[in-house]
Amino acid sequence: MDSLTQGEQPYYLPLKDEINVFESAYEAKLPVLLKGPTGCGKTRFVEHMTWKLYQNKTEAPDVSLVTVSCHEDLTATDMVGRYLLKGDETVWNDGPLTRAVRTGAICYLDEIVEARKDTTVLIHSLTDHRRILPIDKTGELVPAHEEFLLVISYNPGYQSVLKDLKPSTRQRFVSLEFDYPSVELETTIIAHEAQIEESSAERLAVIGERVRNLKQHGFEEGVSTRLLIYAGQLMARGIEPRRAAEAAIISAVSDDSTIQQAVADIVDVILP
Amino acid sequence: MQQLADIEESLTLFTEGIAGRYLHIKASEEFVSHLGLKLDLLGAGQTQDTIYLPNELDAPSSGAYRFLVMEQIGQRECGTFRFRFDQALDKVEVLKNLYSPPKDLTPRTGDYYLLFNCFSHPSLASELFFLLEKARVIGHLLRHYPGLKRHIDHFFDHIAVVTGPSEDPLENAKSYLQGHAHDSQWNLIYEAIDDLKQAKKSVYDSAYYLCELYELVAAFYVVNDTQLFDDQEEQLGDWLNREQRLEEWEEDMEKVESALFSFDQFEGDEIEAELSENAGGSVREEDLDIKSLEEGRDQLKRRIDMERSSVQHAMGPDQSVSRSFRYDEWDYLNRTYLRHWCRVFEEPLVPKDEEEIDDLNQVIRDYRPLVQKQLEQIRPTGLQRVKRVQDGDELDLNAIIEARQDLRAGQSPDERFYSRKERMHRDVCAVFLVDLSASTDDPIEKSEPKPLTKEEQERIDNLRDPWDAITADELITEEPKRKIIDVQREAMVVMASALDALGDNYGIYGFSGYGKDCVELFVAKEPDDKFTNTTLRSIASMSPKRSTRMGPAIRHGITKLTQSGQAMKILIILSDGFPQDCDYGPERGNHDYGVEDTAKALEEAERKGIESFCITVDRSGHDYLKRMCPNGRYMIIEEMNDLPDQLTKLYTQLTNR
Repeated sequence: MDSLTQGEQPYYLPLKDEINVFESAYEAKLPVLLKGPTGCGKTRFVEHMTWKLYQNKTEAPDVSLVTVSCHEDLTATDMVGRYLLKGDETVWNDGPLTRAVRTGAICYLDEIVEARKDTTVLIHSLTDHRRILPIDKTGELVPAHEEFLLVISYNPGYQSVLKDLKPSTRQRFVSLEFDYPSVELETTIIAHEAQIEESSAERLAVIGERVRNLKQHGFEEGVSTRLLIYAGQLMARGIEPRRAAEAAIISAVSDDSTIQQAVADIVDVILP
Repeated sequence: MQQLADIEESLTLFTEGIAGRYLHIKASEEFVSHLGLKLDLLGAGQTQDTIYLPNELDAPSSGAYRFLVMEQIGQRECGTFRFRFDQALDKVEVLKNLYSPPKDLTPRTGDYYLLFNCFSHPSLASELFFLLEKARVIGHLLRHYPGLKRHIDHFFDHIAVVTGPSEDPLENAKSYLQGHAHDSQWNLIYEAIDDLKQAKKSVYDSAYYLCELYELVAAFYVVNDTQLFDDQEEQLGDWLNREQRLEEWEEDMEKVESALFSFDQFEGDEIEAELSENAGGSVREEDLDIKSLEEGRDQLKRRIDMERSSVQHAMGPDQSVSRSFRYDEWDYLNRTYLRHWCRVFEEPLVPKDEEEIDDLNQVIRDYRPLVQKQLEQIRPTGLQRVKRVQDGDELDLNAIIEARQDLRAGQSPDERFYSRKERMHRDVCAVFLVDLSASTDDPIEKSEPKPLTKEEQERIDNLRDPWDAITADELITEEPKRKIIDVQREAMVVMASALDALGDNYGIYGFSGYGKDCVELFVAKEPDDKFTNTTLRSIASMSPKRSTRMGPAIRHGITKLTQSGQAMKILIILSDGFPQDCDYGPERGNHDYGVEDTAKALEEAERKGIESFCITVDRSGHDYLKRMCPNGRYMIIEEMNDLPDQLTKLYTQLTNR
């Protein structure tokens, strides 16, 4: 058993019926696509669901959640595996995706559109009825383990037109939309995660709500729940609220000085 | 001393963040009202789409401006402009005794007008009421925005207009609200202020206190100076309230429309069947309902239209779809920049109907082969394999052999023995500014009159019968001539489809305007937008407007390019003559000022690493273009029809350096 399923249940506050939908998708072996802005809780949701689904399994894999954070230089090789030099030999080494396929873990590809196009095509055969992973370098066809599930996340907001997900890929997934929670829910989340008082958490949530009104202006995402929690955590450790907001929110959302100033002004009027 | 110009940009963003919608921030000098509406004493106030603020404030920080903005937003958050007189009658008992319907009552009469006319001096009532509302708004702000407290305190201590000690109840109430010394004889007013500052007070509580306190306050002025409140002026607050009511009417309108729609839907099946059973052949009730609904809708529509034009007359045209930006202008006579001199309104072009873009689609088809040939020269060649990298999808055989050799020889090998494919990207952003001045409506060339046929000549010459004689002009059948704007549109469409194929980022904007406070920039396509049919329809709707103030348009283009973050930035201006506007320079006929300002703007572009280029169809343009464009970066198109072709060539050259 790995640390995720052995430890405490990762905190997640459902916004809608996403937990039921995910459970059903897992049962039916349907791959899942999570859409939503950065820091709104996609990764936490997957962790939460993995814990829920794997904690009582007798034959759980060593690692029940394999997360791959995709980036511009991530190739299919990085996910499937490659030959490595070991001493005098070149030996095959499974990539994270192959490992998950073999052991029956949940494979979570974070920000999939950031990766190169060849990676998205790679998952096609895994996400339909075939459920196999072809490895062309070794000539192997790896059938997916019963328990294997592919989850990808994607942020339609900030990626450029060029990095849109292809319809042929998008239409292979059960899609769950995420967004930042309402002020009330976000208050609960911040208060729980940062261990601060409701009133302070609410102020941070209101800052989040107002700053998100500016999201078209150069910083595409607005301020994420994650950043608000960071600010709360700093406050919980005795940092003065304004300083905490400055460090965790104002400097983090944008490098543009005008936008920073506007965000600082919003924080200035909302925090006591 | 704080200048609005210094913080306007961030203050606009701040306002948008707090209010949740875009509002223009303007200086009080820019406020124009046909009805003589007034801002407050300091010069702060708002209209449907704008917050007005004083040009400068004697304050140590920008917090004072934030308070003024928040006060305006607070009025909206507190529902000051959602006051409805019929509800006030329900909620405030005493008001019923005071109210008698005025003779000129119509459904469009303002709710605040009705309220204040319940009192002997409506202006006095209005002043008292808005003072009480101010207390309520400040209470709200202090509860929800605790960080404002220090700014409010500072504002009241140092900036707010305070008169010396007096017996005047309104002045004393203001002093009390601002925490200054006050005369204790008006304790009733102070209690009202304190009460209104509490949570859960509505605009009707202010109306209640108005009724309660009015006599007390009016008594003072009857003894002293009633003249002060004799003239009844139009109130900005009343008009804002009417504007808000307009939105409510529009919602009502939607409800009526959807009710009518559902009648339409059901007609023919269930309802009819049900009715024939119940009504037994008499006139259907539903028909009557539909008729009255339709009448109601038409009436409401007329009322909305009339009210909207009244509101616009009172507070200026509604510019809520546009965003505005201020830019400096170069005054070459005094060798100085005029700070925040021009206001650029950026608004989307309203796309034309689908049918009207057929011509433009044809243009794209005509030019495609030619354009493609040219662009092939600069298109990057797909994927390239990069060798000897630390990480990749394949082992690089040569590097492996070397690494092996090194290992055998007991040396540490070079770890870069992979190879990988990399896509070659173009990192270009282009902005096209298309001159939409009135002169682009001119035909490309004045057509020569065709030689007349012999018969026609005879008819003209036939002076024996004057009734049969016609003039030469009548004989020349007018064909629709191609105008400059047509070719500009075509060039833009060709460019757009070409750049889309190339994968470069590009924006297309038309510019025009009239006067320094109204430079208009029409957005056909933003660099991040996809090229779709809507883009084509937007380009198709580019039409000749007013003047050509180039400087601010270029400066806005520079802002767009800098924000794009692309490495190579291109700015191309398409125009048909020199820059001109009604107040572009001290003398209207003299174009030097405009040329110098445009030259300066292009210089600014160059300093920011932007490649600029002017294309014009003005054949006499050499003299001013030479002065205006740095390093001869301009082109005069002799044959207008060459424009699409020339533009592609130029773009290829500019980006292929």
